[in-house]
Amino acid sequence: MQTIRLKLKEEITSGDAKIPIEVDSLTPDKLFGKNEAEIKAVKVWWGNREENTGDLFDVSVEGEAGTVEEVKIVMEGNLSRVKHIGDGMKAGEIEAIGDVDMHCGAMMGGGRVTVKGNADCWAGREMHGGELVIEGDAGDNLCAMYRGEMTGMSGGKVTVGGDAGECVGQYMAGGEILIKGNTNILTGLNMKGGKITIEGDAIMPGADMTGGEITVKGKVLDMMPSFKFVETTTVEGEEYKKYLGDLAMTEKKAKGVLYVR
Amino acid sequence: MVEITDVVCSLCGCVCDDIVVEVEDNKVTKVKKGACSVGKSKLMGHGRIESPAIRDNGTLKNCSYDDAIKKAAEILAAARRPLLYGWSSTVCEADKVGVELAEEIGAVIDNTASVCHGPSVLAIQDVGLPSCTLGQVKNRADLVIYWGANPAAAHANHMKRYSYISKGYWTEEGKKNKKLVVVDVRRTATAKMADVFLQIEQGKDYLVFSALRAMLLGYEDVVPEEVGGISKKDLLETVRMMKEAKFGMIFFGMGATHTRGRHNNVVNAIQTTRAAHTHTKFSIMPMRGHYNVAGINQVCTWETGFPFAVDLSRGYAWYNPGETSSTDLLVRRECDAALFIATDPGAHFPGESIRHLSKIPVIQIDPFPNPTTEFADVVIPCAISGVEAEGNVYRMDNIPIRLRKLVDTEYMADEEIMKGILEEVRAIKEKEGE
Amino acid sequence: MVEGELLIRNGVVYDPINGVNGEKKDISIRDGKVVEEVTNPKVIDAEGRVVMPGGVDIHSHIAGGKVNAGRLFRPEDGRKGRETKTKVCRAQSGYSVPNTFATGYRYAKMGYTFVMEAAMPPLAARHTHEEMVDIPILDNAAMPLIDNNWMTMEYVKSGDTDLLAAYIAWMIKATKGYGVKVVNPGGTEAWAWAKNCDINDAVPYFDVTPAEIVKGLAEATEKFEMPHSIHVHGNMLGHPGNFETTLATYDLVKGIKPYRNRPTMHATHTQFHSYGGTSWRDFESKAGAIADYVNKNEHLSIDLGSIILGDTTTMTADGPMEYSLYQITGRKWTNHDVELETGSGITPFLYSGKSPVNTIQWAIGQELALLVKDPWKLALTTDHPNAGPFIGYPIIISMLMSKRRRDESAEDMHKVIFDRAEYSSIDREYDLNEIAIITRGMAAKTLGLHEHGKGHLGVGADGDVAIYDISPEERDAGKIQKAFLNTKYTIKGGEVVVKDGEVVATPAGRTIFVTPECDDKLTEEMMVKLKDKFDHYYSVTFNNYPVQDAYLPNPYEIKAPWRS
Repeated sequence: MQTIRLKLKEEITSGDAKIPIEVDSLTPDKLFGKNEAEIKAVKVWWGNREENTGDLFDVSVEGEAGTVEEVKIVMEGNLSRVKHIGDGMKAGEIEAIGDVDMHCGAMMGGGRVTVKGNADCWAGREMHGGELVIEGDAGDNLCAMYRGEMTGMSGGKVTVGGDAGECVGQYMAGGEILIKGNTNILTGLNMKGGKITIEGDAIMPGADMTGGEITVKGKVLDMMPSFKFVETTTVEGEEYKKYLGDLAMTEKKAKGVLYVR
Repeated sequence: MVEITDVVCSLCGCVCDDIVVEVEDNKVTKVKKGACSVGKSKLMGHGRIESPAIRDNGTLKNCSYDDAIKKAAEILAAARRPLLYGWSSTVCEADKVGVELAEEIGAVIDNTASVCHGPSVLAIQDVGLPSCTLGQVKNRADLVIYWGANPAAAHANHMKRYSYISKGYWTEEGKKNKKLVVVDVRRTATAKMADVFLQIEQGKDYLVFSALRAMLLGYEDVVPEEVGGISKKDLLETVRMMKEAKFGMIFFGMGATHTRGRHNNVVNAIQTTRAAHTHTKFSIMPMRGHYNVAGINQVCTWETGFPFAVDLSRGYAWYNPGETSSTDLLVRRECDAALFIATDPGAHFPGESIRHLSKIPVIQIDPFPNPTTEFADVVIPCAISGVEAEGNVYRMDNIPIRLRKLVDTEYMADEEIMKGILEEVRAIKEKEGE
Repeated sequence: MVEGELLIRNGVVYDPINGVNGEKKDISIRDGKVVEEVTNPKVIDAEGRVVMPGGVDIHSHIAGGKVNAGRLFRPEDGRKGRETKTKVCRAQSGYSVPNTFATGYRYAKMGYTFVMEAAMPPLAARHTHEEMVDIPILDNAAMPLIDNNWMTMEYVKSGDTDLLAAYIAWMIKATKGYGVKVVNPGGTEAWAWAKNCDINDAVPYFDVTPAEIVKGLAEATEKFEMPHSIHVHGNMLGHPGNFETTLATYDLVKGIKPYRNRPTMHATHTQFHSYGGTSWRDFESKAGAIADYVNKNEHLSIDLGSIILGDTTTMTADGPMEYSLYQITGRKWTNHDVELETGSGITPFLYSGKSPVNTIQWAIGQELALLVKDPWKLALTTDHPNAGPFIGYPIIISMLMSKRRRDESAEDMHKVIFDRAEYSSIDREYDLNEIAIITRGMAAKTLGLHEHGKGHLGVGADGDVAIYDISPEERDAGKIQKAFLNTKYTIKGGEVVVKDGEVVATPAGRTIFVTPECDDKLTEEMMVKLKDKFDHYYSVTFNNYPVQDAYLPNPYEIKAPWRS
């Protein structure tokens, strides 16, 4: 195992302007095989300039890795302005200690990202494999598509310990999302595959869905007026009402399943 | 005294172009015809920023254009995350230089769509926009729906020139053979004119659109007895009117775009239009606010590929409203310098944003003093587009019209000011390169 | 245009307009124009490489309202083609709908120096011009849509061809356009009521047929010495069985005499109009029937509209066609009807080799090129971006030049290619001279631009040259494709703009426009009717309508006198 510790220097976030640092170049697959000096020289974007990782982060490396899977990156310090953590990563592990900024785990294809805190919007955007665990809350557009695309998350697993924002899993095509808290409006919007489970409450879930499955274990607020009640059924020992929708997409396309208590 | 006809109004997205004014002693003395009262007052002019100025020890001190432009360039060239914002109340020629400057300094360039019809743009990116020019509505529409929009107050000439009250080829008798439906949370002046007024509960637009869609597609039975405060009976009646129309038109405003659901309300409005189109001709259009907000969206799109909220910090365009839009950048305190042109963030942005702006260098380009002038570090007055400067603008239906110059001025035009800043920035960068 | 001298030495030159077929020859350029010889030039050594005049695209959608609506509603396409700004180049974006800068750079890299914007809605002409000014390097022009216009239909109905001529003259002048563009005549007006028209259907309320509109516009166009004929996108584009409508459209103008030795109709993106069958199920290629007609007749030119597999953005003034396409895919759909004139629709589309329909479309585009015997009758296009983006041209070139390449492609496609198309039974292979004809010579001649320096390398021509990094003997289709995508050099007006596949200079292009000269009396009479339209039905005033000179900073005027 190899552990790469990247601790954001305090002075980077102490100015009046909180300019984000974009770390899509700091994934296990991209750092695998590099020594400490080489990692310090990897470029990261800070505003409109590229800087050396070593100028923004305190870097330390412990142990050796024979494969990417053995690389673990631990990110520390004030990460609330660190964007794209684990963006595009294919293997290995990242642990981010604290709240992280947007696009955490976006485009992820494999490996594991754990956020010990909250994650801002677009976490898990267009993710197609691997595992993302957010121990706190997630922002809007969790596991959604990029603007204009018709596919959001298509594989992998995401767990949110707290609440999630608007449009969770928009255009989701595959994979699994578990939200332990509540979600804001329009969870599973345009969903066409995969599975979303919300242990808390949800508002207007399932709008324009054409496939996939949403289960709301808490309350549904503002149920969509365009879903068809099918039957009462039992899921994991609990009684649920099963709906099909969204008929606003025409009956032919209304293949989404929504379980409501 | 000279009479000038076909004057184009540089106020709202209606861009009325049949105004007649009188000019005497290089001043617009009378607006004879065509303009609404707000447009008239813009054409007649009011208090101006008198001179370029740079803030020194807390107070603005007058200076030359050259000095102000140099100072602005220094601020922008040094910035790590500059924001260039506004662009909707100036002409496309200036907007183009703005995009070039943004590229040069790795800035975020954003326009007022971010705080008005940005949600509409996002919706169009999801589902497209079945629409038409305003003249189509004038000549053909027999059903007009205003949703969350109150043209009687905000776009005073809209109904008369283009929609419910206008007369055209198949609508010779004006409103006589047309129907007007208004959907709003309160009984507005426009609502009072409507054949059908649907008073919707705040934040329930999305649900009502979905109900209409289901009904238009033939699934009345699943829709509950009441949706968003509107009875199923009224919804069914609206659906009947929509199906029976020969040419239906939905205009929507901020009442739809800025309530719960935001851009998804617009997606659903467009989906409703598509569902109605399975029965008859149906189109939809956002009620754009500023006279050239459509124009900066056009320019920004053909030059960068994206209509607003474009982040050029990496030397290519990254577009992600919600992240790269000015409201988010300012609330998150991301920018370290800002240029505002033809806009007043001091009046329109939340307090948190203004507090951040007071801590970073701010450049303002505007003909008129406004709350932003109070904290701007560099103030550059400019000619009034459409009165003192000409140029291209795009009406709310994306029809390009050229603003006329009516009188001469000593003020520099926006385009010249922007070119000056760009040149200075390049000079600074060249020096740094050496 | 740059001042100074340039000598391109020892290249193998293909200049079909001047009958130069693969000759080792020097090209001399002075002050932007081809000259007999130069005295103290900069020298480019083209030893053994293929040299052609700058490419001329007869039909492409690169600027204006619907192109930009395509960009605006497809950020997912925008992010595909992103390239960082350089010292010379602006930032680029987009694949099927590239931004204006990328459009100029990518065409120039393929050796093109002129592109015709194929559809300009007159009321939004300023928009088209604003974008064309922002397309670097390329010379350009745009054709206003004049076929669904109320004025046109009313004059066609009353049979006043001279007044119709006066109207089109005014329209071309007002829009700073190049010629008469026809798109789904009558059908787009019908679309304002969600209807459509076939060639002999009456247009709702106007009581004329598309056939009458096409004929009337061809007759009116030939009243002038117009450099280009009417440019026609006929009715029923994209519908199975439409080849009969297509052939009937071709026949409409057979008896009309052109002002000079050129066709009386250019029929565009013919692939989309060469469909057999009665539905998508029994859909088949009718390229043979279309090619047969083209072979037997002289009044007609065509361009291909060849398919490039992959995702693209379809866009046309043919509103009802885009609606049908959107109904098939369920993807996003934009429509923009333009008062008294035209309309447009836009929807994304994926051409897949696994789809039987797309496979046959792929076959048709290339079959047309292979079955039409005389390459002077056709131009290579993809109707960018409708059948695919223009950067796919090298793919089509490599297919036309290599039977083996076509056989390999057929193996990867749906098996219908073997039984519902002639594709695999055609052995013809294009040579470089024929490629030069369909990518520059024919387009320049058909547009009448060869008389204004485009599409050839004779003395007096524009110093627009493409040098491709292949020898004339090259037979490897992959290498041919690569060479035609990125030139060794592209020279525009005597200036090197591309070197080794990289853009090195970005001079501004010129906008070429035609001024038809009409009798004042006719114009006056026509104006009464026109002003009435502005007074009552247009939403813009008469005086604010015409495109102001400010929109053409680099204009080039071609006068088209009235034929006495």
